[in-house]
Amino acid sequence: MIQYPEIDRYSALSSPIHDWDPRVKLVSILILIFSIVLLYDLKLAFIGLIVAVIMLFISKIPLRFVGVYLKWVSFFILPFFLIMPFTVQGTELYRFHVLSVTYEGVTYALLICVRAFSAALLIFPMIGTMKFGTTIKALESLKVPNKLVQMVMFTYRYIFVLTSELQSMLRSMNSRGFAMRLSMQTPRTLGKAIGMLFVRSYERSERVYNAMVSRGYVGNIRTSHPFKLRDKDWLKAFPVIGIAIGLHCFAGIV
Amino acid sequence: MVHISDGVLAPEVWIAGYMVTGVLLAWTLRKMRAYDIPRLSIITAAVFVASLIHIPIGPTSAHFVLNGFAGVMLGIFSYPSIFIALTLQALLFQHGGITTIGINTVNMGVPALVAHGIFKLGSTTKIQRKEELFGAFAGGAAVFLAVVLLSVALLTTGREFEKVVMLIAAAHVPIILIEAIAVGSIIAFLKKVKPEIIGVKA
Repeated sequence: MIQYPEIDRYSALSSPIHDWDPRVKLVSILILIFSIVLLYDLKLAFIGLIVAVIMLFISKIPLRFVGVYLKWVSFFILPFFLIMPFTVQGTELYRFHVLSVTYEGVTYALLICVRAFSAALLIFPMIGTMKFGTTIKALESLKVPNKLVQMVMFTYRYIFVLTSELQSMLRSMNSRGFAMRLSMQTPRTLGKAIGMLFVRSYERSERVYNAMVSRGYVGNIRTSHPFKLRDKDWLKAFPVIGIAIGLHCFAGIV
Repeated sequence: MVHISDGVLAPEVWIAGYMVTGVLLAWTLRKMRAYDIPRLSIITAAVFVASLIHIPIGPTSAHFVLNGFAGVMLGIFSYPSIFIALTLQALLFQHGGITTIGINTVNMGVPALVAHGIFKLGSTTKIQRKEELFGAFAGGAAVFLAVVLLSVALLTTGREFEKVVMLIAAAHVPIILIEAIAVGSIIAFLKKVKPEIIGVKA
């Protein structure tokens, strides 16, 4: 079955990261993500991973929830991990018959893995600690082009509407005997269902937009809680951005 | 279809990805009008949701990519649409990465633009059932091109990725076929039911 996006399921918890100003939080953690991804030293990348795990713990988002979401990253990283230790040339560590595991291959694969997981983990304290609507509002006040912000907002809302629509369509197809299998017929039938999904959503989008415009929608997002920057928001940004820069100062020394 | 996650590519590659995406976004956003936004968004959402359907293939599964279909439906606006879909996938499902949004959008969005061109060219011909045929071709070609671009992005990062690229490319062969059949079928359906959506006169 198709999954609803629920990255903000734990946005109602309370932690120092939850009550951090959304704009400062987004920018600070983004800087940290870019910093870790740019690291080339395995030890420093491990420090980045530890920082990511610590921030995840501070945010109190349950690990079980995070684990499910790491599926895609693991799926993409796995082939690198399975193949690169054998194919990268370098000092030999072990040897099984014709295959040899090299030190360079293992460290390269580990480096990729550590950087990828650090970045993926940091998305949870960054996005998962506020309602997604707040994230969109923060993007707007960070001067992201208004058309993009509006597209993110509409698309996000419609994902829920269309997921439930598609779920009920698939359920009724199943009850009429449709089964997902690898055949010529499956993609054809699914194509028709998806076509129907488009037809149903197409007119709805215009009705919704007209209704919004007639109620005074001009493209900006209004919330009843305007953002307010306090000193402690900057105080939280300081260590995060400090670590991001610090990791690269160390990279010069190591 | 897999999207590149953070931490794999060389910085030069993903920075170049952001540059190309920045230029193409600036161009397409300038052409976009305010009342296009809800329509583009709902189609983006529909593509996003439809690509979550999984078809089992042996021990693994494949899902629709629909970047070619986005190109057929949205023309040049498929580029911002794919940018938004990939950003949301990275944020909501950790599929793809933050630093790689630019390059992943190039990988999926440029083939969408090509698919748009294929379909447009095809609709000027006089072949019977041309919409289905060129739709299927555009759909399959867009996934094929996406795999090529993905491979190029990985290979420019390092020769070490050669074997990984071969594995990824091989895994996508069935996806290309499934995609072509599905997109042909979606377009045939839309042509019958609501031809104005795909710009065909009834």
